[in-house]
Amino acid sequence: MTTDYRYDHQTVQGFILSAIFWGVVGILVGLLISVQLWHPAANLAPYLTYGRLRPVHTNSLAFGLGVGAIFGLSFWIVMRLCKRPLLFPRLARLQLWLFNVGIAAAAVTLAMGYTQSNEYAELEWPLDIAIVVLWVMFAVNVFGTIIKRREEQMYVSLWYIIATVVAVAVLYLVNNLAVPAGLWKSYHVFAGVNSANVEWWYGHNAVGFVFTTPILAMFYYFLPKATGLPIFSHRLSIVAFWSLIFAYLWTGAHLLVYTPVPDWLQTLAIVFTVFLIAPSWGSVVNGYYTVGQDWSKMRSSYLTKFFVLGITFYGLQTVQGPTQALRVVSQLIHYTDWVPGHVHMGTMGWVALTVTASVYYVIPRIYGTEIFSEKLANVHFWLVLVGQLLFSITMWITGIRQGWMWKATDAEGHLTYRNFTETLAGNYPFWQVRTLAGVIFTVGMLFFVYNVLMTIRKGRAVQAAEALQPSPAVTAA
Amino acid sequence: MADIYKKPITFAVLSAVVVLVGTIATMAYPLLRADMHPKVEGLVPLPALALAGRDVYQREGCVSCHTQTVRPLPSEVVRYGGNKAAAPGGQYSVAGEFAYDHPFLWGSKRTGPDLAFEGWIKPAGWHLAHFTDPQKVVPQSNMPSYAFLKDQSIDGVALQAHMRALRSVGVPYTDAQIAAAPAEVQGKTDLDGLVAYTVSLGKAVDRSGGAALASDVALATPNPKTHDRTTIKQGHKLFAANCAACHGDEAEGQEGVAPSLVDDTFLGVKGDLPDAAYFLMVKNGSDAKKGLGRPGVPDGGMSSFAKDLSDDDIWSVIVYLRARKAHEAAEGE
Repeated sequence: MTTDYRYDHQTVQGFILSAIFWGVVGILVGLLISVQLWHPAANLAPYLTYGRLRPVHTNSLAFGLGVGAIFGLSFWIVMRLCKRPLLFPRLARLQLWLFNVGIAAAAVTLAMGYTQSNEYAELEWPLDIAIVVLWVMFAVNVFGTIIKRREEQMYVSLWYIIATVVAVAVLYLVNNLAVPAGLWKSYHVFAGVNSANVEWWYGHNAVGFVFTTPILAMFYYFLPKATGLPIFSHRLSIVAFWSLIFAYLWTGAHLLVYTPVPDWLQTLAIVFTVFLIAPSWGSVVNGYYTVGQDWSKMRSSYLTKFFVLGITFYGLQTVQGPTQALRVVSQLIHYTDWVPGHVHMGTMGWVALTVTASVYYVIPRIYGTEIFSEKLANVHFWLVLVGQLLFSITMWITGIRQGWMWKATDAEGHLTYRNFTETLAGNYPFWQVRTLAGVIFTVGMLFFVYNVLMTIRKGRAVQAAEALQPSPAVTAA
Repeated sequence: MADIYKKPITFAVLSAVVVLVGTIATMAYPLLRADMHPKVEGLVPLPALALAGRDVYQREGCVSCHTQTVRPLPSEVVRYGGNKAAAPGGQYSVAGEFAYDHPFLWGSKRTGPDLAFEGWIKPAGWHLAHFTDPQKVVPQSNMPSYAFLKDQSIDGVALQAHMRALRSVGVPYTDAQIAAAPAEVQGKTDLDGLVAYTVSLGKAVDRSGGAALASDVALATPNPKTHDRTTIKQGHKLFAANCAACHGDEAEGQEGVAPSLVDDTFLGVKGDLPDAAYFLMVKNGSDAKKGLGRPGVPDGGMSSFAKDLSDDDIWSVIVYLRARKAHEAAEGE
């Protein structure tokens, strides 16, 4: 039985290791650009300036780490829930290679300044085509395997994976409609307010369908697996799923509050954004009550705390987000560091904790062994947690501080801080703390990387030892 | 209904439908509405050099740190200089200004200031100096140096392809404009383009304050301020805050940015002019050169300080400059 899966498991591991590699690249670039913000001399060369590196940071983490982990872990989940290997194992392996070539090309071209300038959709049109091909390959395998499954009922995680495949396809195709003006240059077909509205319909749903639905698929699958506790409420999963994927698509314009986009569109987005608290918290409550069946798992099963803290940050994120959409809050914190603080709670908190816990679960099982060191995993957990909290809290403070300075006026309406630089220079100490937080987080992630690599090494040794002896499966046959 | 959790195709189709409801309502439907396709009167596409500069702005990721939309908030309108605009609509960014922006470059983070009205705020010379060495002009700035753009020349043929691509999505470049583009950018660098683009920002709407700007005083008008210590001190303070970034801390000028104000030439011609000429330049910016009959620096764009300085302030600065000039002359002897 295990031999049926061996080839696919290597593909899954390939995606996980690729994701880790691009994650390390993205995190290190993140550290460099965090230094550039308070030390401009760190802009060493044209291709290492902040403006070009920021998209390298976001793309290698969202698409390299995020999507790489989603590909690998979704394949794992799909195989388990369908009780069969992938329908097209070689296609999945080809997808793995194309994925790495694509992300490498993305990093290089972005550093060279080839960009469409739309956040999270920076890649130029030749790479957009490559990404569409990748996504089609993924979709074919996911749907093919699900259709040919050996388990009639589709579990919650499969719903989220299917919704991810469908929604990302729609989002990516529409927002990347651009007219080429050369091999590495194109212009968005939409102009002005439409360009803005389409971009943020895409941009916010990239968060929804890359950083939310596939991560929820992992959460719903690996939390019960890691704890041995069944999901608390199936009915709640159903309600939360449908209302989440319905409401998400209405919310893009909350990123355009007080811009020239028509007010009605902003208001509609704000209303749906506030509504989105309900389905988000549906999953949060489900997660808490699941672990609530036996809180001692927090102590006895080391992965439980990753999932519990992960869903906690998801819960905080999905209350903070709707709060920010309100006009009265937006006018203070929009365009300030508050927003990166918000985003990094989602990515460094919710996504990083859930994905690393899922990897900790999967990698030993590929080899039928245990994790190399639970102790190191615990060190990783605490460093990542402290780094992320320090990062986000510092950014919230500096965001409020600067937002307030921008707004401060005397009784006659004159600005208190007329010179923009006055409001900027006060950020530097906060940005230095942010770099420190980033270093703490990075060290935590390096513990994770080491632990995964050592587990693989240990697993290979186990496999090699088994190969020398007649396998029990063969003897039984 | 429970059956859909056993039918993957049905489930996928249903998910697609659910996802498409919000998509159609908030993304597709607005594309069809007139309120999403406004255009301010007199909007013209960027000239070739400025378009090349916009490409550089995109390439260098300027949008990572600079927004280009001034929100309708009182403090923001004051900060970015829309406060004296004639019409309320001109005080903040309006949809119709961006009809030719493929893509929009509003950004999401203001690490540096908003640039939507930059064309009304700082002149070309300031930007040239600032791009080359930001910390020299704004000591506490964290902006990277873009001096390397001086070494990259604009490719006129590629620029024509860019203009044609933009025309295919509705930016009305004429054949003549496209044909003339290579000549317009001949010998120009990426930095020239970026400066041209930056000073074009916000110019689709008149934010000059209309009547308030068309200030005219007779050349014979005497300076109402007296040459006393207090006025000189006040003028010095205003000069340091508003003028020194370009004209130097001691008004000695900066090579390639702005001329000296204490030598024996004024607007490129030897010989001084009365205080009122200085007043007109500060108040109206470079436009005043024509009336004064002097050429000034060829590309020279002194911006109007009508919004930053009151008439009284301007006269005080001139008193300070006169004192400075007398001091220089005395030292020269």
